[in-house]
Amino acid sequence: MNHCDPQTGRTFALFRLAAGRAIFLSFVLSGVLSAVLPASAQNSFSERPVPILTGNAGYFTNVEDGHTVLSPTVNPVLLVPMGDHWLIEGRGEFEGDFERPDGGGPFGGTVDKELNYLQADYIANPHLTVTVGRFLTPFGMYNERLYPIWIRSLPEEPLIFPIATGSSDGLMFRGGFSLNAKANLNYSTYFSAGTENRVLEADRLVGGRLGFFFPGPRIEVGTSWQKSLQEERANAFGFHFAWQPAAVPLNLRSEYARSNLGSGYWIAGAYRLSQLPFWQRAMRHTEVVLRAQQFFAGEDLNNEEAEEYELPDSNARQADFGLNYYLRDGMKVTSSFGRQFSPDEDANLWTVGIAYRFALPLGNLGAQ
Amino acid sequence: MLKKILIFLWSLALASSVWGAAAAGNGQGLDTNTASATTAATRVSNDAAERRLEGERRFHENCGRCHAAPHKFPPRMMATIVRHMRVRAMITDEDMHLILDYMTQ
Ligand code: HEC
Repeated sequence: MNHCDPQTGRTFALFRLAAGRAIFLSFVLSGVLSAVLPASAQNSFSERPVPILTGNAGYFTNVEDGHTVLSPTVNPVLLVPMGDHWLIEGRGEFEGDFERPDGGGPFGGTVDKELNYLQADYIANPHLTVTVGRFLTPFGMYNERLYPIWIRSLPEEPLIFPIATGSSDGLMFRGGFSLNAKANLNYSTYFSAGTENRVLEADRLVGGRLGFFFPGPRIEVGTSWQKSLQEERANAFGFHFAWQPAAVPLNLRSEYARSNLGSGYWIAGAYRLSQLPFWQRAMRHTEVVLRAQQFFAGEDLNNEEAEEYELPDSNARQADFGLNYYLRDGMKVTSSFGRQFSPDEDANLWTVGIAYRFALPLGNLGAQ
Repeated sequence: MLKKILIFLWSLALASSVWGAAAAGNGQGLDTNTASATTAATRVSNDAAERRLEGERRFHENCGRCHAAPHKFPPRMMATIVRHMRVRAMITDEDMHLILDYMTQ
């Protein structure tokens, strides 16, 4: 950020202020919570869990057909365990979007603020957790598992990501158990009340997801379903697949989703170069990623809706190539090149950035 | 086109699950053989070591699936993180205990 002009400097200062406030609030909240809560009964583990402020911060530069967008991001995550069975968790999202106006001039823009989730989880028994509040809609795997910038292997979300995901306000039952030594089952089912409130915005819907994980070969397959209880009362359906072969440092993932807005799939392979026989010290930290994806616009999708849901407004195909370098645990430099082919016009997208995950205890860690 | 892709994905998943179940079955067989070969005297000390190994195995199996497997945090933080991941990742109760033991030694 050495070459910032004064305008950018001011916008960044605002951004820092907003993020700073969020972090400060988290401290206060967790302080209050840990003060009012009774000390937990003897935990089943020797260690009592401590509240944590975690999350990620990142800075990305995107160039789409010669047009540059700077986007700093902070996602604070607050975790407050209570007793043996409860966890309160919340995540906010602050994402800047700064670009030069068409006629030239200094970078300017907006900071998007969102509450991704704020939920109370009650671990009722080993196989059931009940969640109330605002939670990430469990549809497919990207939203819940791969979305954070320090986790995703390509900076850009898949084209189909907006289908049936986002956040829900309501009630969720979820859990998992091993069927036998070879297979684990996981499930989740939820109801969301619709609201137009800006912070808590959600659709009215019900849905569920069922997944099977095979620990031996490290394969997960799953399927998701969702029914909207408003407007067209449309159904959405999804399928996900993930495989991490033990013998090769490869992550193979794929998702398919379909709703009245459209349908599509993505398939991505991320490969750590640790097996290359040369420059091993650097190669161990390097990952190459390839993703192919396609989106088929649904009959119901008009331009307005496409914009609202951030979906392409017509059929599109996209190929992405990414290169990540892991500096250390939770910190990576990431770069990618994507080309989108659509009937309107093809587009190139370049991205470079850095993403970092932090975790700070909000309490005494005790003797170690 | 779409149908073909769907069919392809489903069959890939199906094939890999069948193969996966078979592979997991083999591994299981080996474990029991080694366990029954140990004598009662060495079993007690082996139990702790085995538990640690099992914890390490489950850690690698589970904790590198969505993100790169993280380093160890202080025990009280680890307890929170594993609870968070348990809800998030639907890690089974048994996995959680073994992983937590392994991560907090
Ligand atoms: C199903 C996917 C998945 C699996 C499996 C998983 N994680 Fe995570 N992990 C996540 C996601 C997603 C986040 C980020 C949470 C957020 O930002 O909302 C995360 C965050 C974390 C963090 C940051 C602190 C926190 O709690 O948010 C740590 C540390 C971590 N995981 C460790 C682990 C360990 C240890 C395991 C194995 C027991 C594990 N993870 C298994 C998806 C997973």
